[in-house]
Parts: sequence; C-alpha cells; structure tokens
Amino acid sequence: MPEFTGWLLDLFDDPREGLVLYFIDKKGARHRLTRPFPVTFYALGSDAQLRTLWRHLSNRPDEIKLCRTQRMDVFKRQDVTVLGVTVKNPYQAGKIFHETAAQFPGLEYADADLNISLRFAAETGAFPLCRCQVWSDEAGQLTHIKVLEDAWLLKATPIPLRTMSLAPDVAPHHAKPRYLIVEVAGEEYHLDLHTWRPLLINLRALIQRHDPDLLLTDWGDTWLLPKLMAQSEKYNIPLGLNREVGRGVSWHEERTYFSYGQIIFRGQQIHLFGRCHIDRQNAVLWNDYELDGTIEVSRVTALPLQTAARVSPGTGISSIEMLTALREGILVPWQKQQAEMLKPAADLFTADQGGLVYQPKIGVHKNVAEIDFVSLYPAIMVYFNISPETILPNPNGENLVPALGLAIDNSQDGLIPKALRPLLEKRIEMKKHLASTPNWDPFRKNFKRRASALKWLLVTCFGYLGYKNARFGRIEAHQAVTAYGREALLRAKEAAEDMGFEVIQLYVDGLWVQHPQKTRPEDIQPLLLEIQERTGLPISLEGIYRWVVFVGSRQNKKRPVANRYFGFFQDGSIKVRGIDARRHDSTPFVSEAQMHLLELLASKDRPEEALPEAVDYLRARLRALRSGHVSLPDLLVRQRLGRKLEAYRTPSPAARAVMQLQAAGKEMRPGQRVPFIYTLGKPGVFAWDRPQAPNPHAVDVARYQRLLLRAASIVLESWGMDEEKLTEKVLSDASQLDLPVPPKQHPRKHRSNIPGVVHPAMDRALKGQIQ
Amino acid sequence: MGRTLPSATQLMLQEEASLARFRRALRRGDQLVFDDLFTAAQKHISAAAYAAHALPFETFLMAMLLEEHKELMRLQEIVERLQEMHA
Amino acid sequence: MNKQIISFPVPKTGKISLVVAPKTVIHSLMSMLAVLALRGRVIVVDGGNCFDAYGLARALRRRTHQIQPALKAVQLSRAFTCYQIVAMLAELPVDGTPVIVLDLLSTFLDENVNFSKRQRLLDSSLNLLRQISEGAPVAAWARAHPAAEGEFQQLLMPLLETAHDIWELQAPEIPDHQLPLF
Repeated sequence: MPEFTGWLLDLFDDPREGLVLYFIDKKGARHRLTRPFPVTFYALGSDAQLRTLWRHLSNRPDEIKLCRTQRMDVFKRQDVTVLGVTVKNPYQAGKIFHETAAQFPGLEYADADLNISLRFAAETGAFPLCRCQVWSDEAGQLTHIKVLEDAWLLKATPIPLRTMSLAPDVAPHHAKPRYLIVEVAGEEYHLDLHTWRPLLINLRALIQRHDPDLLLTDWGDTWLLPKLMAQSEKYNIPLGLNREVGRGVSWHEERTYFSYGQIIFRGQQIHLFGRCHIDRQNAVLWNDYELDGTIEVSRVTALPLQTAARVSPGTGISSIEMLTALREGILVPWQKQQAEMLKPAADLFTADQGGLVYQPKIGVHKNVAEIDFVSLYPAIMVYFNISPETILPNPNGENLVPALGLAIDNSQDGLIPKALRPLLEKRIEMKKHLASTPNWDPFRKNFKRRASALKWLLVTCFGYLGYKNARFGRIEAHQAVTAYGREALLRAKEAAEDMGFEVIQLYVDGLWVQHPQKTRPEDIQPLLLEIQERTGLPISLEGIYRWVVFVGSRQNKKRPVANRYFGFFQDGSIKVRGIDARRHDSTPFVSEAQMHLLELLASKDRPEEALPEAVDYLRARLRALRSGHVSLPDLLVRQRLGRKLEAYRTPSPAARAVMQLQAAGKEMRPGQRVPFIYTLGKPGVFAWDRPQAPNPHAVDVARYQRLLLRAASIVLESWGMDEEKLTEKVLSDASQLDLPVPPKQHPRKHRSNIPGVVHPAMDRALKGQIQ
Repeated sequence: MGRTLPSATQLMLQEEASLARFRRALRRGDQLVFDDLFTAAQKHISAAAYAAHALPFETFLMAMLLEEHKELMRLQEIVERLQEMHA
Repeated sequence: MNKQIISFPVPKTGKISLVVAPKTVIHSLMSMLAVLALRGRVIVVDGGNCFDAYGLARALRRRTHQIQPALKAVQLSRAFTCYQIVAMLAELPVDGTPVIVLDLLSTFLDENVNFSKRQRLLDSSLNLLRQISEGAPVAAWARAHPAAEGEFQQLLMPLLETAHDIWELQAPEIPDHQLPLF
C-alpha cells in the first residue's frame, strides 16, 4: 500500500471518479488520487410532504440512497425529522438538489450547497494545504489520510509550493502590454505579446518543465488567462494550464456588492484544476496579507486556495461556521427562515445601537495610554456564549444581556463560540508571539501577514452574525454582542475614572486615558487588571502616546470626529487614522508629505521645534510641483465610483474621469477605483487609463498646492499653523509664485466653551492681572 | 442589515431641522446662539445614544443644560479668582 | 418639517385593510398604531426596515404622558428576507391581536431570489394574512417602488385581490419645505 507525507493542494468533484485530490509529496513528487465521495443533503417538511418526495426520488434513475432520520435544527434547539438524500457521485449532487428544490419548493433544505472541500474536511479532518500522511491503493484510490499539523498550529512547516508568476509589463486597462513577464524557479523570461505562436510554445514548455502548483498572475482573471486561452485555441497549441487532463477551466462571473456600506467590485474569476490560479489584482486583501495570509485563510476556513483567495472574509467566517456545524451534526440551512422574535417596540431603542463612540476632545493630549480590548466582539461571542441558539427571549432568566430583555443559555457551548474559539485563541497567541519576535526574525513577516488574515476574519464575524442571509445569523445575537460591548467599555471607563485617570476618548473597543503621574507602561498594568476583572474580557495596552492629536471633521473643524487622529508612541512608532496619510484615495504626493511632516514632528522633543523645517520642506515640495519634478503617478487620485454614471446629478471628479474612459471605449463599474489627475480647465480631470498620454503642463498646480497645504495644516495646526497661516508662511518665500490663497472658511470665530480651555481674550486679561 | 432607527447624530439633525422655522424667525445674533446650543449638545451625543430615550429631544435639552452649567461654573471660578486678586 | 398626517380608521376583524402609498405615509401609520397601542397589544411585522419608533413615541406623547406602557404593547418583528416574512407570519399567535404589516412587498422585490419563488412565497404570506384576519384586524402597507415598477405592479395584484379596504395615496404634489414667494 503506497504511503507518503506531504500537503493537500487541491480537491474537486469529478463526473467519473467522485472526488479527485492533488498532493504535494515532501520528496518532490505530485500525486493525483481519487476517492468515491457520496454526499448527503436533507429535506425538511411534514410527514406527508417527505413521503411524496421519497416516492419521487426513488423513481429517479440516479444512484441515490434515501433515509428518514433525525438531525439537529439549531434554531429550533431540537432534533427534527428529515429525509436524507445521499447521492453517490458528488458531481451530480448539485444538479439533483436543484431539480428537487424546484419541484418541491414548499420544503426546506439543509446541507444542500456546501463546498466539497468543507464536506471532506468535516469527514476526514483534512483541509486544503494541510500537512498530512496519505495512504492509497494500487488503483490510485485514497484509502486513508491523517492530518499531521492542524489548522490552529502556530508555526506550520512551510509548503514547498512551485510557483510561476505571469504578468504583463503594464496594466492592460492602462496601456497595451508589449510582453509577458514569466518568473519561475528564480529565472525571468520576457515573452513578446505581438508574436503569439512563439509565446504559446515557450510558455507551454515552461509550464511542462516546471509543472507549477500555483500560477500567480496579474490580471489573470480578467485579462491574461482569457487572452491566453483564446490564442491557444486559435493556434491550436494547448498550454496545459490545468494539471487535470480533460477538464476545462472554471469561470466565475464578475460581481458588484455592498460590504460595510462600501460598494465593492470583483472581476470575473478563472479557477484551474489540479493547479491553483491566483490573480493578485483580483484577490481579496492581497496587498494586506499576500500569499502567506491567503494560505492561512484557506487552512482555517477549509476552502480551497483558489476560492480562499477570492472570497470576502464574511464567506470565510461562514465556512468556518458551516464546517463546525457539519462536524457537530447540525443542519446547515439552505435558506435561513428565522425572523426576529416578537419584542416590545420599547426595546428597540436600546437594541438598535452600535458600539459606544465618544466625541474626543479636539487638540493635543500628552502622555495618553491607549488600551484596547483584544478582538472585542469575537471575544464577547466566545466568552459570553453568544450564538443563535443560546439567546432566549426571557427577561426574567439568568445571564441577562445588559438592558435587552434577553437571556443566555449557558447549559452548553453555542455553535458560534465553538466555531470561533480556536480562531480567536490563535489570533491572541499570534499577537503575543509577534510582540516577542524581533524585527530581524525572518518569520516575522509571515507571522504578520497570517495574523492580519485572522484579524480580518475576526473583524467580520460580528457583522456576519447580523447579516440577513447568514445561515447562522440572528439579529438578537448581533444586538447582544453590541450590548455587551457597550457595557464592557463603560465598565472600563468607570474603572479608569475610579483609579484617577481622565478618559480622553472611547471608541468601540478601545479607550484613551491620561493620568499626570502614570506615564509608563508599568503604571498602567493595575488598570488593565482592574478592567479585566470587571469585564471578564482580555485587554491589552496598545501603547502610550508621547502625544496624540484628535482632529475635527473635514467639514467643520470644531466638530469632533471619533476616529480621526494621529499620535506618536513612546517606542517611536506613529499611529495615524482617518487623515490623508491613511486614506486610499489621497495622492501619494499629499500623503507622503503628510507622513513626512509627522515624522518631522515626532523626531523632536517638542514638536513645535519642527515648524521651521516643516515650512522649508513644504516650500521644496511646492517648488518641485511647479517645476514638474513631481512624477505624474505621484499626483494620481484614486477615487471609487460610488454609483452608476447615470445616477450622478453633478458628476464627481471620479465620475467625470469615468466619462472620459467611456468615451474611449473603456467600461467601469460602481465600486471600481478610478485613477485620475486634476487638470486645468474643464472637465478638470484626466483619467489615467485613457489611451492618450496626459500633458504634464495641464496639471492643476493650484489645486495640488491647496491639497498639500490643507493636509499639512491638519498635522500642524495644533502647533499654531492653521491652513491660512501656513499658506501665508509657505508662500511668503520670495521665490514662490503668487497663487490664489484659499478664502477663510469660518468667518465667525466660534467661542470655545470647553472647560479648562480659557477664552483667549479672557486668558490674556487674566495673565495681565496676574503679572 | 441596516439599522432601523436613525443614529443619535441623525436624530439631532432632525430635531434641529424641525426647529428651522423657529430659527429662521430669530434675529441673526440669536440664531448664532441657537447654533451654539446644538453644538454644545453634540458633545454628549454618545451619552444620548446610550441613553436610548424614546423622546430624544429631552436628552438633548439635558445635554445643552449640562454644557451651560459647565460654562457657568467656569465663569464663576474666573470671577472668584479675579475677586481674590482684587481683594 | 410639516408632516401631513392622515387619520386612517383602525382596521377591523374579518377584514384586511391595505394602504398603497409612498414612504411618507409612515407618519400616518404610526399615528394609527398609537391609537391601537393605547387600546392594547398590537403586532407589527416590519418588512422594509422602516419602523419609526421615534415617530410612534411622538404620536403617543401627543395622546398621553405615559408612553412606556403603549410602547411595550407594540410587539415588533423585523423581516429582512421574503423567507423571513413567511416564517414570521406562520408563527404569529392567533389570539385576536391586531396585526400591522409595514412595507409588505420590499423583501419580495429582492432580485437575488427568482421571481416565481417570490410569487409563491407572497401567495403563502397572503394566505396566512387571510387566516389571521378571520380572528383579528389586519392592515398592510405596500410601499410604492418607482424603481421596480413592473415587478411591483405584478406583486401588488394578488395583494389588491386579497384586501377588502384599499387606500391608494400618491406622493404629495407640494413639497413640504418652504414655499417660493414668487
């Protein structure tokens, strides 16, 4: 009986063999094994309905086994009678199910449309990219598989993936690519895109010689692979993109969807068989966590690598929950039916709220400690056992949710806590481990990326609980989580105030506190312990700011905004939220300048000492801008198209850029980012992806100057340099051209009525008296 | 799943809007004072949200009062300091 | 904001009252709900995430100082998918408590579910409403959906056939902001 140790690379269903699995042998070979893999879905309904279905299905010619049995319905909190339909070949299961559902629409269904990878993981424990020991028979059938490293292991053995990277020399939507850059086994090849026959022959040779496990492309989903396949057909030169012979590639349509109030566009996808394809330009959060993070997502969600690379964290969380349900024998509903419980309207006021968010005190604060609950919402779900089936409508029961008239059943662990606990614990372990890993450690990057992937999954799991189509979502569970969150934050606030701290800011899962004498990490420890004691939730010190500045809103500087600040930690790192340096749509020219100013401020003992240097720096940047020494890509703005073009009454700059592209025959969808440059005259923008080259002399210098000075003043105004003053100072340089100065924005000086900040005139009067 | 009820910030804007006719008929100087009251209430928007009162305007009035009283205390302290210096 | 409040008669047992009107009718519906809530328990099924709890509180406040008991008498459940509406109606207690369905058709306009399936689910919902109306007053509001006019009209048909009293209101011609002088 052949046996080897290696990694599970890919698995999929097959019309003849049931399940096909590809493995990487640690000794270098690649194995293709097969296995029969019957799958079962369930139908729920009245006895009479199920009998009719039974009769109908037993007349079908397919190989189906039927059985009447009991399964756990998590929402009903009890076993229910179901008809189990076991289809011998998983490849046919989908078709049989959809036909059944269409013919018997009055029934409910469960375990119906699950990824085969989840089913395999539930049955054998083996998930994609897991390290395993594998036994097979002479016919190439998998007989036994044993997982050697589980998904929750902190340091897994690296997978010896053979990767081939394919990328055109330029972005195809920007300009016509000239050659294809192939990187494989440390070599780089340039294949001419004008001569297809030699390109195809060479590429085929490279794929054959190196037999990569992973094709890592740029625009492979949306441009490169479709192009390659069309040409390969035209010249009749098969490329062998798939490892699996006789299978075409699998196409998935493009789509636009909403996520967290943002409109997102995801292009079409191309999946391969026996080999994986990831398009870096179309993969989710690739810039954030790259391949390491994608592998992590694949392992913990048990989704195949190609799928894991392209699904939202919400789908990832859903997979983890479904896998847990499958393992526990809990029905995974096909369509969620449960509506909200009937509750008094009076409860809605308290229930329909988000996290607690304070309005920070605008301005500079010194020696502020930032304390964060570690993964607050997931921790609440896990430690307070919040799950759709544990929430009971019992205002008089035990374990009451704060102020909601709901109780929690703690007699057993809920499905959601069971699913999330290992994920949360791994994330906390990783965080601890990262804190003790020095910067030079070669594994640090890998760790950071994987930690980031876990963070995204955890951040999403809470929202997913309240998502209307989430199979294990429940609105009451979602509300309970925020209620506990608010309670935790208020208890933390009370603990801090009891210990003599002033609370500068509260934001959902963190608080910023200040104490004149407690300015070192060890001074904060007692507070952390106290908060942990009062809330029962893990908490950590993010750091102590030498200073932190909360800035007002973009529209009205006096109006505080919860999550718009920058600060400088005692350990030298800078934290920035909500200002240009962090925004995806700001130009590199502006955000880099803002970051540079922050670093300047941070480099001084007293930030105001940096002002002269800051002014000099801004003058230099403006000189560079005017003399054309700032490259055009550095002036690119990347705004998202918020809606369909027709929906704009006055088109935004992004919409105007899209109109230009449309005129050039290039379509853009809502949710896509449009790079453009601000130009003089009408329409005031130049779309970067137009076929023509932009005229460098048409750049709207005055506009970029304004953007630069505004961004600079956000950082500098706490040290007396507001936009007006800064503009005056920077432009007073004799060598500067006279450009229009922006008008004053707030003609009327609002009286500041923040206690402790005395009205300037009164302050002067007072000082005069004292002297 | 979107929220059903407006946020406290939206509620405050609604309340402000429902007084638009009142504000319009005020003298310019009084209009600015009116605006100040709402800016003051804004500072306690998170407390108002947490309170989840069915008639939120009552909470907003309380928030305005609170800021007014703080201001009063601040001025009182200044007056006392000035008086001490003159004494 | 000047809100035009229409005094709808409260629904009666044995009948299904239907209001076909744009969004602004919610204020009038909350006003009617307030009247019902002061008499006793009322069930509200919100199919469009539009339950105006603050509006209800204000409507109650115009009638009483004690708004809390009435706010507690209103029993609310929100449905976000057409599956949930059916499940919700099937589970309602049959004890004579009046039932008000807000924005009944919204979830049935969800293009992610195929149209015939939605039609079937709507039929089930209407059957359930008919059964409920035999022992309790039932009122439903179909919010006009100009964006999905075709489907809306198709789905509205069976609803019009089911209802006994129908109020059809158009959007007001006069905007409710300041009038131009000239």
